[in-house]
Amino acid sequence: MLRHLVKEKKESNPRTPEDMSVKKALWQDVLARFLKNKSGIVGFSIVVIMILLIIFAPVITRFDYDAQSFPDRLLYPSALHPFGTDNFGRDLFTRMLYGGRISFMIAFIATLISAAIGTVFGSVAGYFGGVIDMIISRFLDILMAIPSLLLAIAISAALGSGPINTALALSIGGIAISARIIRATVMAIKTNEYIEAAKATGSRNLRIIRKHILPNTFAPLLVNATMSIGGSIMGIAGLSFIGLGVKPPTPEWGSILNVGREFIRDFWPMTVFPALFIMLTIFGFNLFGDALRDALDPRLKD
Amino acid sequence: MNLLEIKGLTIQYAMRANTIHAVNNVDLTIAPGQTLGLVGETGAGKTTTARGILRLIQTPPGKIVSGEVFFEGRDLLKMSGAEMRAIRGKSISMIFQNPMSALNPILTIGEQIAEVIHLHEKCSKKEAAERSRNMLKMVGIRPERAGEYPHQFSGGMKQRVVIAIALACSPKLLIADEPTTALDVTIQAQVLDMMRALKNKLNTSMLLITHDLGVVAETCDAVAIMYAGEIVEYGSLERVFHNPKHPYTLGLFGSIPSLDKVVERLSPIRGLMPEPSALPKGCKFKERCDYSCDDCEKEEQVLREIELNHTVRCMRAEGGGF
Repeated sequence: MLRHLVKEKKESNPRTPEDMSVKKALWQDVLARFLKNKSGIVGFSIVVIMILLIIFAPVITRFDYDAQSFPDRLLYPSALHPFGTDNFGRDLFTRMLYGGRISFMIAFIATLISAAIGTVFGSVAGYFGGVIDMIISRFLDILMAIPSLLLAIAISAALGSGPINTALALSIGGIAISARIIRATVMAIKTNEYIEAAKATGSRNLRIIRKHILPNTFAPLLVNATMSIGGSIMGIAGLSFIGLGVKPPTPEWGSILNVGREFIRDFWPMTVFPALFIMLTIFGFNLFGDALRDALDPRLKD
Repeated sequence: MNLLEIKGLTIQYAMRANTIHAVNNVDLTIAPGQTLGLVGETGAGKTTTARGILRLIQTPPGKIVSGEVFFEGRDLLKMSGAEMRAIRGKSISMIFQNPMSALNPILTIGEQIAEVIHLHEKCSKKEAAERSRNMLKMVGIRPERAGEYPHQFSGGMKQRVVIAIALACSPKLLIADEPTTALDVTIQAQVLDMMRALKNKLNTSMLLITHDLGVVAETCDAVAIMYAGEIVEYGSLERVFHNPKHPYTLGLFGSIPSLDKVVERLSPIRGLMPEPSALPKGCKFKERCDYSCDDCEKEEQVLREIELNHTVRCMRAEGGGF
């Protein structure tokens, strides 16, 4: 009698509406872990503020980034020019914001290219192993052997300056790193029984890689991409600093820093602000990436 | 015609220094609707045999050295990759030992069942999803749970999902590799009952790998005892269970506690299985056998038919002389 009642109660309580929320729950866990991490929030805030600043640059500042004004050159920070002006009388704050646009754009493109190519090579090498892995890995070793900034300098010297060429130059060095991360992750995942189970159901290799393995590599890939954006911003600034990369008058943090170097003894704003922006941005991305890794995979911690 | 006919299957793993003889010259047959139990201790080559049927041996280091595996009259070992893929999951499917790791943690169980259906049957995504819900109902899981992830299920439930995946395309042969070993005893009984019921309903043949003779007695029609990569005793369930002849089989039965006899101690088989990289000449079981004599290692032992549907790989079994 009682048993019957219990059963009926269970059946009259279907959980259909909640089932849809299951997929969300996974990300809620990640979010909850992320929000517990104070330094992660700091990093995330820095990144978000930077992105908002560069997106809304035309609203935030009323100057043009290339409007020269000879009488106003090398002014110290004031209410009108919060960061002062440069040697051509252009508002430094404005140039910082517009310069950030170039840096972020190139960094995103470079990271996207290196992550995409790295994923292809890494997953093929890790999944098939054997001779294919051997060939791809040795090729990656060669790439790794060259310091990435040196490689970027060589490539952008060969290709010439410009945003697209700079993105290409920076992405090639990043391929090896993302390919290795993906390869290691794929090798770990492919030993799982569900990969063999997928084979036993008649899935072809490419389908297994695409459907069963790659989604599992998403977390390390995302973490690596976040870190690599920070690194790319550094790389762009470095290239522009030595005259490759983005050429003046297009504003870029590295090239502003380079011009400011001439005035470093008498006029500090032109070196301090670009350096501060570069530093803060990279710091933000690194903190964000660290926290992201802890949040996505709690087992990786320590 | 037999559904599956394995002839002289030999599988080896080539390691750096030596070759591991995992499966040696195994013959097995399964008739339509029949359940064959493959019994043996850990490392006897049961799983390797099963993987060999589906050609899921990791190569290298593993290699199917020789043999033929006829499925519905066609040799699986001679098929192209595409033909083989069409058979896997459709005509022959496999249940893996550990349900905890046999499901992809990032796909919902509904997606995972629908994937097999979508792969093998020409049907829309929606139809596949609908059929996957029906499969869930069949294995006793509420269809509404199709959108949940593996971690939200218990071990027994996961094994039900794995069984649902295996049976989704109504295979002719189901290979179950220790399907209940990772489950606790109450769930074992449930899962076995369910498998048996579904098998009868779909008229599926089954190769059941286990080291639990009780499970074999309940489930199987025929049984093959495997030792060191060889079949040592093979026959119908009644013949092997009522009249076990190989000393190893006798040893296995001696290791099971009996309900109706008072025994102080169990009599386990002494010693360990020989290294599969250095198998002895002649009888592989000689070292552990209570009845061994010098003749045992003189010649390779062959399977001798001692009665109808009952073969034993022991020279002394024929005369019934223990």
